[in-house]
Amino acid sequence: MAGRGRGRGRGQMTFNLEDLGIGRGDSLPPTTFKPSPLFPPMPVQPVPLQTGEEVEYMLALKQELRAANKTLPFYIRRAAPKRDVDRYSDKYQSGEPKDSAIEWSPDWSRLPKELCIKVRKPLAKRHPPQVKQPKKPLVGKEEILTKLETLEKKEEAVNSEEEEDGEKKKTNEEEEQAEEEEFEEDFEEDTDYIMSYFDNGEEFGGDSDDNIDEATY
Amino acid sequence: MTAQEVRLCGLLLQEHFGEVVERIGTHLLRGGAQNLRTIANETNTPLDLVKKSLCVLVQHGACEFGSGRRGPGSPVEYRASCERVLRVLRYPRYIYTAKTLYGDTGELIVEEVLQRGHMTMSNTVKTVADRLTHNMEEGRSMEYSEVVSAFSKLVETHFLQRCPPVAEMGTAATSITPATPGTPAASASTAPPTAESNPDCYKLPHVTLIGRGKRRCSSDDSEEQRGGKKAKMDSEMEFVGKSGDSGGGMYVVNLQRALANLARATLESVVQERFGSRSARIFRLLLRKRHLEQKQVEDFAMIPAKEAKDMLYTLLSENLVQLQEIPKTPDHAPSRTFYLYTVNQLPTARLLLQHCYKTVANLIERRLFETKENKRLLEKSQRIEAILASQQASGAEPEQLTEVEEMITAPERQQLEALRHHINKLDSTENQVDETVFLLESYIFSTKTK
Repeated sequence: MAGRGRGRGRGQMTFNLEDLGIGRGDSLPPTTFKPSPLFPPMPVQPVPLQTGEEVEYMLALKQELRAANKTLPFYIRRAAPKRDVDRYSDKYQSGEPKDSAIEWSPDWSRLPKELCIKVRKPLAKRHPPQVKQPKKPLVGKEEILTKLETLEKKEEAVNSEEEEDGEKKKTNEEEEQAEEEEFEEDFEEDTDYIMSYFDNGEEFGGDSDDNIDEATY
Repeated sequence: MTAQEVRLCGLLLQEHFGEVVERIGTHLLRGGAQNLRTIANETNTPLDLVKKSLCVLVQHGACEFGSGRRGPGSPVEYRASCERVLRVLRYPRYIYTAKTLYGDTGELIVEEVLQRGHMTMSNTVKTVADRLTHNMEEGRSMEYSEVVSAFSKLVETHFLQRCPPVAEMGTAATSITPATPGTPAASASTAPPTAESNPDCYKLPHVTLIGRGKRRCSSDDSEEQRGGKKAKMDSEMEFVGKSGDSGGGMYVVNLQRALANLARATLESVVQERFGSRSARIFRLLLRKRHLEQKQVEDFAMIPAKEAKDMLYTLLSENLVQLQEIPKTPDHAPSRTFYLYTVNQLPTARLLLQHCYKTVANLIERRLFETKENKRLLEKSQRIEAILASQQASGAEPEQLTEVEEMITAPERQQLEALRHHINKLDSTENQVDETVFLLESYIFSTKTK
């Protein structure tokens, strides 16, 4: 019973083959051995493009706009990835803006408060852990003007930020860490040694440690 | 937001604002309204970058913010809109239209405002006047008043629009801290600075109305015009209809019908170009006669049965034509059912619009691919151009110039030429597909708002 029908004709199926349009005696289309080509030949060619002064002008406009957009402050690039070793030249060669402030000044009255990074007053309550801490004022101008105050606040902010907001800020904000580290070197060592006496040989480069005992002239 | 729309928006954002904004933007488009923290968490982007990107998006009108779902106390939510991002494709056309209507001044104003999102009038006037002065000959300078008058004309004809003031966000529980000192003092203009922007009211001048406009046909009109109007009335286009006899005859321009006819013409031409003129004949037939059986199609179109069947099935497989079943008996037996072919204009227009979006996205991707493949060559040629320019500026001899030019070999030059040609073609095609997009979008939009 199980073998009945096998081998007779083309094989029995549960539906009527003629409904599909494959009648008796017709040959099936050839079997395919590979996927269909990526760019099959087109039966009809597309209509040629328009030409003319208007079209050329709009083309030029489009390309100019595209080029101009790259220079505008609206084009946001990711911070350059941190290299494996901190280099001395990093201090002097910062091409990318290391600040996380905006390079253009929008009309803040048209934007929600939370988007403003420069504000040093406590933010709205939607950032509860940071209500007491002022936002890090990383704008260059303010640092120059009130540098000591900034450094002090930053120290506090760094300490509290590391405790409370470890999830995102730490690993992702390389530029802030780079700046933090610069200050940490000088301030956060809990040693009795006066930092200015200690020369760890970084800035001199290449001196072997054996010669420290020799008198400096 | 269909998948194709989101993909195209992502590519446009990437080209204009960089990858960070693209990531945030596509996330917002896909996910609907979200607040700041959610965005930062889900896209794994540092909070400051998210804030910057949101500022950029809001500045350009691509994103809006509103109070959260849980009432005034909940965090601010941001919503991105697909349409606004897609308008970026149309910027060259806007600028060109402004140029033809209002000259170079108008062109520069529109270009500045488009690039900056929205700006105050004083800023715009100042920037544009400075640019024009820079380009003019020595001694002449552009008057601010001319720029101001061009600006006012643009505002009157709705090329530019004033941004509505934004309500203060999150003011329920906290005290309002004004972030920056109020609006900056106007530098050049007399009126208080107004922020102007280009919202979607920004269409090409001839299609700004949805609905009907009345135009008085006075008896002073020349004979030709009246003859023309009559001819228009008689034709099937029905753009202009007669709506009363007062004052010698009142005529109506029916823009909705105009759009429908234009869309129909577009669909027909698409079918013609892709499937041949006979399929186009069948398509037109179905548009006109609504529902037809296969036999009737063959008869009316005067095409032999086998080919007609073939063409109908091709159109059906492309979804340009639909099959409607009308059963004769309650048991829906196939031998006793009418199968009618029909074309629905609106769904077909939507389908074609999605195809257009996909096309433009593919074009952009191909262009990016070509640029990436030949990045080395492009950079080399840019460097050489820079060297040439600096040498010419400092006055070099011809031998030095030729020496520098020879640094690019001839096959490389050919390759560069071919690359430029391809990129130009792709760009130009994007512009032209955008025309079709505009037409179809206007048609679909006009059927929605009734």
